[in-house]
Amino acid sequence: MQKLKYERPYIKKLNAGIMNKFGTRTDAQAFTHIDGVAVKSVIAQYGSPVFVLSEKQIRRNYRSAYRAFSTRYPKVQFAWSYKTNYLNAVCNIFHQEGSWAEVVSGFEYRKAIGNGVPGNKIIFNGPNKPKEDLLLAIENDSLIHIDHFEELNLLISLSENLVMKPRVAIRVNMDTGVYPLWDRFGFNYENGEAWTALTKIVNSGKLQLVGLHCHIGTYMLSTNAYGIATTKMCDLAMRCKNQLKQTIEYLDLGGGFPSTNTLKGAYLPGTDTVPSADDFAEVITTTLLNFGFTNDDLPLLILESGRMLIDDAGYLLGSVVANKRLGDGKRAMVVDFGVNLLFTSFWYEHQISPAQDFTPHVENMTVYGPLCMNIDVIRESVNLPLINPGEHVVVHKVGAYNMTQWMQFITERPAVVLIDEQQQSHIIRTSETLNYIEEPESTPPHLK
Amino acid sequence: MKQGIPGFIKAIINTYSVLFFSQSRALGIILLLVTFFNIQVGLCGLACVVFSLGMVHAMGYQRENIQLGIYSFNALLLGIALGTFYHVNTLFFLWLAVACLIVVVATIILAERFNKSGLPVLSLPFIITFWVVLLAANSIFKTGLQQKSSYLLEELYNGPGTLAGFQGYLAIEFPFYLNLFFRSLSAVLFQNNMLIGMLMSVGLLIHSRITFSLLVIGFVASCALNAVTHTYADGISYYHLGANFMMTTAAVGGFFIIPSWRSYLAAVLAIPVIVILVNAFTGILGVYYLPVLSLPFCLVNITLLYVLKLRKNPRKLNLITIQHYSPERNLYQFLNHAERLNDFKYFPLHLPFMGSWTVSQGYDGAITHKNDWGQALDFVIEDEDKNTYKLPGTLPEHFYCFNKPVLACGDGVVENVVDYIDDNAIGQTNEKENWGNTVVIKHTNELYSKVSHLKKNSIKVNPGDIVKQDHLLGLCGNSGRSPEPHLHFQAQATPYIGSKTLAYPFAYYTTNDRQSDPFHCFTIPQEGVVLSSPEINTSIKKAFDFQPGYMAKISTASRSEMIEVYTDELNQSYIYSKETEATAYFINNGTLFYFTSFYGNKQSLLYYFYLTAFKVIFSSNESIIAHDVYPVQQTTNKAKLWLQDLIAPFYQFIKLEYQSSYQPQKNGVAIQSKQTDNTIPVMEATLNIANNSLQGFNIRYNGTTIEAQWTTENM
Repeated sequence: MQKLKYERPYIKKLNAGIMNKFGTRTDAQAFTHIDGVAVKSVIAQYGSPVFVLSEKQIRRNYRSAYRAFSTRYPKVQFAWSYKTNYLNAVCNIFHQEGSWAEVVSGFEYRKAIGNGVPGNKIIFNGPNKPKEDLLLAIENDSLIHIDHFEELNLLISLSENLVMKPRVAIRVNMDTGVYPLWDRFGFNYENGEAWTALTKIVNSGKLQLVGLHCHIGTYMLSTNAYGIATTKMCDLAMRCKNQLKQTIEYLDLGGGFPSTNTLKGAYLPGTDTVPSADDFAEVITTTLLNFGFTNDDLPLLILESGRMLIDDAGYLLGSVVANKRLGDGKRAMVVDFGVNLLFTSFWYEHQISPAQDFTPHVENMTVYGPLCMNIDVIRESVNLPLINPGEHVVVHKVGAYNMTQWMQFITERPAVVLIDEQQQSHIIRTSETLNYIEEPESTPPHLK
Repeated sequence: MKQGIPGFIKAIINTYSVLFFSQSRALGIILLLVTFFNIQVGLCGLACVVFSLGMVHAMGYQRENIQLGIYSFNALLLGIALGTFYHVNTLFFLWLAVACLIVVVATIILAERFNKSGLPVLSLPFIITFWVVLLAANSIFKTGLQQKSSYLLEELYNGPGTLAGFQGYLAIEFPFYLNLFFRSLSAVLFQNNMLIGMLMSVGLLIHSRITFSLLVIGFVASCALNAVTHTYADGISYYHLGANFMMTTAAVGGFFIIPSWRSYLAAVLAIPVIVILVNAFTGILGVYYLPVLSLPFCLVNITLLYVLKLRKNPRKLNLITIQHYSPERNLYQFLNHAERLNDFKYFPLHLPFMGSWTVSQGYDGAITHKNDWGQALDFVIEDEDKNTYKLPGTLPEHFYCFNKPVLACGDGVVENVVDYIDDNAIGQTNEKENWGNTVVIKHTNELYSKVSHLKKNSIKVNPGDIVKQDHLLGLCGNSGRSPEPHLHFQAQATPYIGSKTLAYPFAYYTTNDRQSDPFHCFTIPQEGVVLSSPEINTSIKKAFDFQPGYMAKISTASRSEMIEVYTDELNQSYIYSKETEATAYFINNGTLFYFTSFYGNKQSLLYYFYLTAFKVIFSSNESIIAHDVYPVQQTTNKAKLWLQDLIAPFYQFIKLEYQSSYQPQKNGVAIQSKQTDNTIPVMEATLNIANNSLQGFNIRYNGTTIEAQWTTENM
């Protein structure tokens, strides 16, 4: 007979709650492998904590989203939102799949150029585009999405002496019936600013108006809002064609599609409540097809979805540092990754799985990060089995924003590993070193 | 008048060259010159040509035929014949003019009548007119015409003294059969002169290697036949050998039929027929002292053509549809077009959906595509795991293809609609209403397309509606004999919902195949293939949108050409270069642009554009490469081409291949193309497109590099 696993004795407070037919079992299951690669071996090879991305899952997500739109609408183009995850390896997966690049700064713009994206397949968004960045974008024939009148005036003056007309679009904000209303970006639809901007662009004669852009929010849980947004965009496009005699070549509906993470405060898990890419595609494409464009005049539909395409392809692997009992008797677990790496733990109730077999008993606990800061809480309340120090945990769906918004704070940032479709792991960003962090520093002589 | 005179001179030269089914200027001039070996003959011939051309021109007959010399070559023959056989006196000129008038009238009437059946008139008008003149001259009444000799075809021509000496010398020095060959050739112009025959040979060789080789074949085969049968004890007469035997082999083997080993065989088989006809007509016409002339030649050709034209499904021995007056060009264009011009063979059907779908059951599939209903396709959408549904897959809604738009595969009229049949639960089938909700569209009188198993109440069209390609018909569903949602597509020849199927290709589609060419033209997809409509780059498409009246200037540092787009009476579009008069025919079908043929000056910038943009697919997918083949005559290696011409009907060793593909640019778009001659690079070119229009092209071809700017004039 196989020797039974040692089980630590424990005392548990009796909860006289309502009877639950599911008992106290947790949903957590041991998550030992990612795409066939053992978690243990990844940590052994690259250290703990470590981010892991699944190339297979990224491609699946992209193809599934592309399929949802392209089987409903004849002209669809995705543009990879760089800010969601601009590791070059990640960007290049999307570019290989056919994505353009959507960038919001000169830094991201140059990254896209460096990744070999042709200038005319880069969409330049964002509220702050300095003169030299604009000049670069004009020279490369990129699509410039204008955010405000200052920028529009600057562009007109910049193109004064140019032979080529810069290709531009405006970002439009509008009321789609959801809160919060993102009216800080672009020109408002309802108060007529958007129309004023469009008129100004066409009348200037210096710019080539090719598209319209909107981005109505983030983590949108209502498909209806996209229907409203699409209708308003189509209306603007139609008015441009009829009144300004300017054909709009594309409508950029932005992104904002949610991943299946569970938002903090949500009653049901994200996997059950979040609309799928198909649901969004159905609303957007039906609106476009029924709006009354002729077949030849149907605008290209551009989508800048980020989160939906990568969130569930990212994992954060870490190790348990310590277990402790808090003052009120609640259990707590300290892990070796903090909110500086897992920025999204401020928004999501991330699913955390043990990376090895565990005992069936679970206990409600708080998961703390390793930072010497009170705010470093990964999960305030989660039912997890008891995991011994040195054992590993996996945080799911961390692919979006964490690898761009992470902070170098107290410790170096960890490595990022990509598992390819042949189950080979590749390091795509090494863990930082002291030298790397100190390299830009300089110490005045009198302080040496 | 500025254009009139060269046009008129061209028509004169064409009248001479068209005797040998040619438009070669060199041959025409040589033939004109050899008639002047006897001044009288030359002048009579030329006078008749000028007279007849002037007459048909003044009376306003079809301009093209006048230019080609169709109305005047019979007059030429008459002039030469009369000049050869009659002494010149005052009355001769009167009767020459009258005969010329008769022959022109006869030509016009006969040419018009024959043309309705698509047959050539050949030298029939001349034969009839000449008989009339002979009968008149030999009648009991006096016409004043004095025949040089009583026996027409034994009339021997004696040229000026020096030539006679040279002739004698040649006759002795040359082998008998070589001598005979040249003299027979000269007999076509009613001469019996070796030197004339030699000069004519040079002209014919310049005009066409195929024609010349056929003349030789005709000569050898006729002599060989006579050597076996001894039909003519003294050998075949010069005249019959040239004007009947050799001319027939040339016409049958290479002019009216696309040259091939079959046409050569037909040409040789025509020889014994000619023998019979010559003998038969000699007997009949001998009663009236009339020569047979080229009557057997005319009869054999016209009869054979008529018989071939009556075929319903000609597969071999193809007749020439567009006459280029050169057997080589006819052959090369025919082969090139057979390979390339699918737009004329098929009605273009496009995929009836958007995005990537998988053929779940192909033609003669194992499940339901059987027998008469075998040539149908079933489509579904699959994910990366080859599943057609997302879990749990228990409802139609879980299937990827369910509820997806179904489109009209081509322009047409809605013929039949069924929209009331319930969608099945997964696993159930409705065999009573087998086809489920269905739309049938009529594209042409003999081509209908049908999509079936659509969703109940989703169909947006009604019978009688006119639909364009990609028009939304309805949504994919699960009605009829459909256990899980899928789209059934078939082409059929009749409008009924239960009609049997018709094998018919899709015009263009792409597959996500990384190994082979992802772009497919006019093919029927196989089972298991994942396919989608080609994504069209609107910028390239707009750049090639050459509507009639489109004008542009192509210019280099040293020269420039204005081009304009026209459409001819057959609704074919072409680009015409005003400076060089070069013409390039093209087709733009919305998916790709390609040239079909080029005529005229090969130094023109239009020719370089023709080479560069021979075929361009409007796609910005870099893995799509447009493959094509130029007609063989476009090669720059003339020596090799002449060799190729000789054996072209049997084997082509020159293969001029073309490739083009999309190249992303910093600004705009570029199309890179190249030409290879049996894998040796011959041409490299780049076409630049920006702001939805052509900007210019660079080409390196045959040692020259050209950088041309393209400026649109009226856009």
